[in-house]
Amino acid sequence: MLSINLTMRYLARTVGLPALGVALALALPACNNQSGFSGAVGNTPNGPRLASYQIVGTIGTPFTATVADSDSSWTFRGNVPLSVFICNNDLPAQVIATKTTSSTALLSLEIINANHVAQLQSTSAPFGTVSVQAGGVLTSIAPPADPDLRIFVSGPNAQKYQALVEDSTTGFIISSRAPTLILFDNPDGKVDATFFGAQDFGTFTVNMTLGGIVVATVTDGPNATIRQP
Amino acid sequence: MKYFFVHRTARGLIIPLAIVFCALLANAGAAWAGKNSSLEIGFVGVPPPGFQNVQLNVISVRVNSKATAGPGNGGWQTIPAPPGVGGSNSSAELQIDLNNLQDTPQLFNTAGVKAGTYHVAEIRIDPNISGYLVPTCPTAPPTFGNADGCITYPLMLTNTNSITVVDPNGVVSAKKGKLSQLILKVTLGSLVPPTVSGGAYTGTVTITAPTTPILGTITGTVNVTGTPPSPSSGSNKIRKLSVTAEAIGTNTPIATAPVKSGSYTLFLPAANNFGTLYDLAVTGGGDNLAAQRLAPLFPLSNQPLAADFSIGVPSSLGNLSGQVTDGCKAKSPIVGATLAILLPPDGTSGIDCSITPGLCVAVLTANTDNAGDFPLPGSISTPPMFDNIPALPKSGAYVMEVTAPGYDPLLVQAQPSMGNGPGGCAPIGSSTFSNCNLTLSTGYITGSIPITPPFPGETTLVQVFAEDTGTNNIESSLPMPISITHSNAANCPSGPFPDCVPFTINVPTLPIPGATPTPSGAPPRVFDLFATTIDLYQGSTDPYPGHSIAVQSEVTGPMPPTSPGACATATPAPFAQSIECVGHGSVQGSVANANLGTSVVLEKPDPAIPGNLVQITTTPVVNQAENPTPTNSYSFCAPGGDVYAVQRLQLPSPEPSETPLAAPSPALDGAAVPVTIPLAPVNNASATPTATPSGSPTSTPGPPSAKCPTTCTNPDGSCPSICKTVIQGL
Repeated sequence: MLSINLTMRYLARTVGLPALGVALALALPACNNQSGFSGAVGNTPNGPRLASYQIVGTIGTPFTATVADSDSSWTFRGNVPLSVFICNNDLPAQVIATKTTSSTALLSLEIINANHVAQLQSTSAPFGTVSVQAGGVLTSIAPPADPDLRIFVSGPNAQKYQALVEDSTTGFIISSRAPTLILFDNPDGKVDATFFGAQDFGTFTVNMTLGGIVVATVTDGPNATIRQP
Repeated sequence: MKYFFVHRTARGLIIPLAIVFCALLANAGAAWAGKNSSLEIGFVGVPPPGFQNVQLNVISVRVNSKATAGPGNGGWQTIPAPPGVGGSNSSAELQIDLNNLQDTPQLFNTAGVKAGTYHVAEIRIDPNISGYLVPTCPTAPPTFGNADGCITYPLMLTNTNSITVVDPNGVVSAKKGKLSQLILKVTLGSLVPPTVSGGAYTGTVTITAPTTPILGTITGTVNVTGTPPSPSSGSNKIRKLSVTAEAIGTNTPIATAPVKSGSYTLFLPAANNFGTLYDLAVTGGGDNLAAQRLAPLFPLSNQPLAADFSIGVPSSLGNLSGQVTDGCKAKSPIVGATLAILLPPDGTSGIDCSITPGLCVAVLTANTDNAGDFPLPGSISTPPMFDNIPALPKSGAYVMEVTAPGYDPLLVQAQPSMGNGPGGCAPIGSSTFSNCNLTLSTGYITGSIPITPPFPGETTLVQVFAEDTGTNNIESSLPMPISITHSNAANCPSGPFPDCVPFTINVPTLPIPGATPTPSGAPPRVFDLFATTIDLYQGSTDPYPGHSIAVQSEVTGPMPPTSPGACATATPAPFAQSIECVGHGSVQGSVANANLGTSVVLEKPDPAIPGNLVQITTTPVVNQAENPTPTNSYSFCAPGGDVYAVQRLQLPSPEPSETPLAAPSPALDGAAVPVTIPLAPVNNASATPTATPSGSPTSTPGPPSAKCPTTCTNPDGSCPSICKTVIQGL
């Protein structure tokens, strides 16, 4: 029975992912032509493909991290694993993460570009720090993002999903697994995001913070949409 | 940061485990059709000498039953880098440091494979970024102009297509329904250094089977009496019954084994002639929780357990959820807090986890999300750890420990919900349970660190750490490094230095359990502070700082909060030394009569109280007697031009057949040995030489736009060049 269930799931995934891709492909032009997902934003041509910054290692390892591009910076705490994306990423970008535990748990930073590891740095040292950078040399840390808009996808854990995150001018497609932190640098107008999970995905748990205050929360599945109020 | 020690492992407390960090997803994938066996992969390393770090980016290991199988042949069974640990998608990689694998192995992953005998094993290393090398400072003239030490060099392997080991008798035999192990000795050799600045080392990796045993075995049974109740609503799945081995006294998982037909088997790294200490936690299946603390594990031994596990079933299963916030800032969530449910080890009596948490085992662990809420969601097939917690009889409660760096740990009673609720929490000793909305108390230290501001156009990132005085037990760090530019340093409030880095760091305020009390009325905690920098080297990540480390000892911490929200701040005088651009340096040597519990601590004297040594970082003594040519060596990369001390740190040898009550603590052993790491010569290449009246050439400050090609630039435009090393035995 177990193997039948798994086979069915595998089939669902196999069939579901291309279907999801088609759905996204259809959704984007639809979004552009019909004033976007929220109805409040419009004309959202595709943004460039985003690199992802993966903070991985021993599951549950706590850390603090600073993510910076040439315009803005963000600081956050978290636990391994966490995927980070910067929409409107203005390269070069740098990620610095410090373990906040005296244990010898592993903390790794990866830059994933086009599904390949572009950089990888690790530490097992107590309170060890690692940093990676992309797109050149960032000689200084930019001031904190203003506005500081973040979308946090906390679950379901480790399930692959795709998302369209957009402001009024640009849409970004993200393919990731929760937990994910999406940072939006200098959004033009309000931001919304729609998440697509496979059939047996479960329920998204998503919140949006603006300036550190939770402004929207959504629990829905297998698809979910969150909008900046 | 201990950027400083960015890749180096070792804190004395769990040195034998220091290189063992991989949480195994035992049997993950074993349910796939045909994959009816499980294979555990581990590595030991043989690095080339003279390097602080030797890192390889491992994608996977695969095995084939045909000894002649080529890369494109079928029949390969792949054990990938563990998802979540090595990355979150198909491109996952795990970075291993061969330097740390010389004496004890590192587990890689466990995955399902078809049962059978495999004659060839292959390690797959990222062909694009094979790894990184960090040499110590050169003892001989470099091979090219800018061949500095203690910086990262890319490594390009010349044989990434086929790194295999073949054995006609089989490299591993995977039996149906069983867990098998395959340990590979990974050797990096044929190294050719780069010939141009920014170039890569080239080399080859070979793998062989180690000749000495390095894993210990724990086998046992879990006898369950009764039928588990239905899952709590909200999730119709229950985690499978499993046994997890954790580093003793921590919630760091080392390996997990499913319980099949009442039995389980764990292969765990074991320090030869020393022993490695573990806790076991039994969770899942809707059954009661259980834990054991084990006697030291040795290679090849079949660990004698105190007793097999015999557990019952609860009357119901419930959930536990809530929020953790900062007791000093209203409604401010604490992100990344850790919550652990503690149990006394089986077979012990009289242990109250609310009084002596160190004697207990963390059986279930959860973390808070960005809103401070816990637990993080699971998935359909794998609910969160805090779902389906067995209810204790007679409305009993678990002891739950809540920790976050810089905050006082909190012990509360935790009662899972009856059904799909959030559960309840109560202070220790109270019988009034309410929602688990918990607050952690803290205090602040606000200070100043003198600094020479960076050259125009450059930035120096400063990180500050607070540790319990006289120890290397770091309690907290700044949530974000402070960015100092040429113009934004603050005026020092006092002292001889003009420019300072102001900082505020969270620190705990309650006394350390068991520590000598401070005088009545005085704050109960005293800290040592040290500040390091996070630098770039020619624009790339620099694993070790090129600026001097500033230290301050015996800083009196703040008083505990007098009431909720009334949190105190301690304001010590500015540091008595300045952060300067000095370049890299290193110290290395060998340690006499070392064992696998020996490490070395790097200390720096506080200039304000010269007798006080502030512990900066530690490193294990590697390449010990089990290896063919043991060196008992240690090394540190540390900023040059400064006086440090190195001192032996020794973990007590575990008694072979004795189960410790708590995780042992390391102690300083022997005298601290002063050592001066030479200053890197100053490179005036960017400055314009002029003639002096005597006719001898000298240099003048470079133009304001001049930039050095190294870590940092001095105010006169010069910069530190190739670093130097010093040899110091212990």
